[in-house]
Amino acid sequence: MSGSDERDVTTSLFERLPEDPSAREELVRLFLPLAEYLARRFDRRGEPLDDLVQVASVGLLNAIDRFDLSREVQFSTFAAVTIVGELKRHFRDKGWAIRVPRRLQEVGLRVNAALPELTQELGRSPTIDELAARAEVSPEEVLDALEAVQAYSTTPLEAPVGEEGGAPIDALGSEDSSIEVLDEWASVAPALTSLTERERRVLHLRFFRGLTQSEIAEEIGVSQMHVSRILSQALRTLREQVGGDDAIPEAEPRGSRTER
Amino acid sequence: MTASRSGPITVSVPAREEFVHVLRAVAASVASRIPLSFEGIEDLRLAVDEACGRLLAKQGGSTTLTLSLRPSSDRLEAVVTVDALAGGERPPAGIEETLGWRLLTALVDSVTLDDGPSGPSIHLVKLASVPTS
Repeated sequence: MSGSDERDVTTSLFERLPEDPSAREELVRLFLPLAEYLARRFDRRGEPLDDLVQVASVGLLNAIDRFDLSREVQFSTFAAVTIVGELKRHFRDKGWAIRVPRRLQEVGLRVNAALPELTQELGRSPTIDELAARAEVSPEEVLDALEAVQAYSTTPLEAPVGEEGGAPIDALGSEDSSIEVLDEWASVAPALTSLTERERRVLHLRFFRGLTQSEIAEEIGVSQMHVSRILSQALRTLREQVGGDDAIPEAEPRGSRTER
Repeated sequence: MTASRSGPITVSVPAREEFVHVLRAVAASVASRIPLSFEGIEDLRLAVDEACGRLLAKQGGSTTLTLSLRPSSDRLEAVVTVDALAGGERPPAGIEETLGWRLLTALVDSVTLDDGPSGPSIHLVKLASVPTS
């Protein structure tokens, strides 16, 4: 059916719609392929396709009910917008926007665990395919996780710390008001001056913003292995400065530590 | 990268489906700087995918698929082009009547088809969904 035929048929069906119930059925039949097509395009978000077709069909019915022939817009365009709106609302209602990052985080964690193992075994940095196989996810998911890290971590919530040369303790205090944490770190603060700026930054990201090593790696643009080395070195330096292990946490984020 | 001050960002890949993910990734990355919302980025990613699919489906003899992104403070313009081989097929009769085209109109704020001298292109505009201060 060419575009102009479709328009003619659709227009006459809408004209009959008020008194002829079969016109509505006919419209549904004509445009169901559109609803199915749109549902399929949203399919990769991990919902059963049948459910999505159902949601899209509801969108189509809404579009038929709301369409106004006097508008300049074609019904098919109006229907597509309504159906996509319904699909998106469905995902919003189901918390999709939260679930996707969560899935990507899972993938990220698995990849992060596989990375050092494989690097060790192979004596080189692994390929995406190798990582995917070890992490038991698809190469596409590994790439998606990498993409996501790039796409969603770029708007910092706060200005980056440690680049204006402010005193580290100022930075610590402004970032976290927890007295307990401050107390603990106050004893370490003098020793912080013996660290390099990069070490301070990594410590800050790890313990005060609670980022994982791989997130830090992404943020400062080095490998996760490198972050691990920076962390170890920084903590070793602090221990030497403070003269005991007691006040210095292990390379774990706060909250996951046990009582000292 | 300061989106509003940069020129167009252009990426070319072989005109085959398995390279489309590269363009999707670049589009999503640039879109995050506009700023587009999470949902807006997904819309654009899907729209770029669909636009590439439309053009690839029609252009059997093409060699290169190009995405050009022009970010500004309130919008992102994305142009997907396939080069038509010299004297090759002319595009997409009826592309604007396809189901995929309907999807494009639903995902972005403006979509147009151009039949330029170097090959057909689909021009997408997505407006920033987060108010700029």
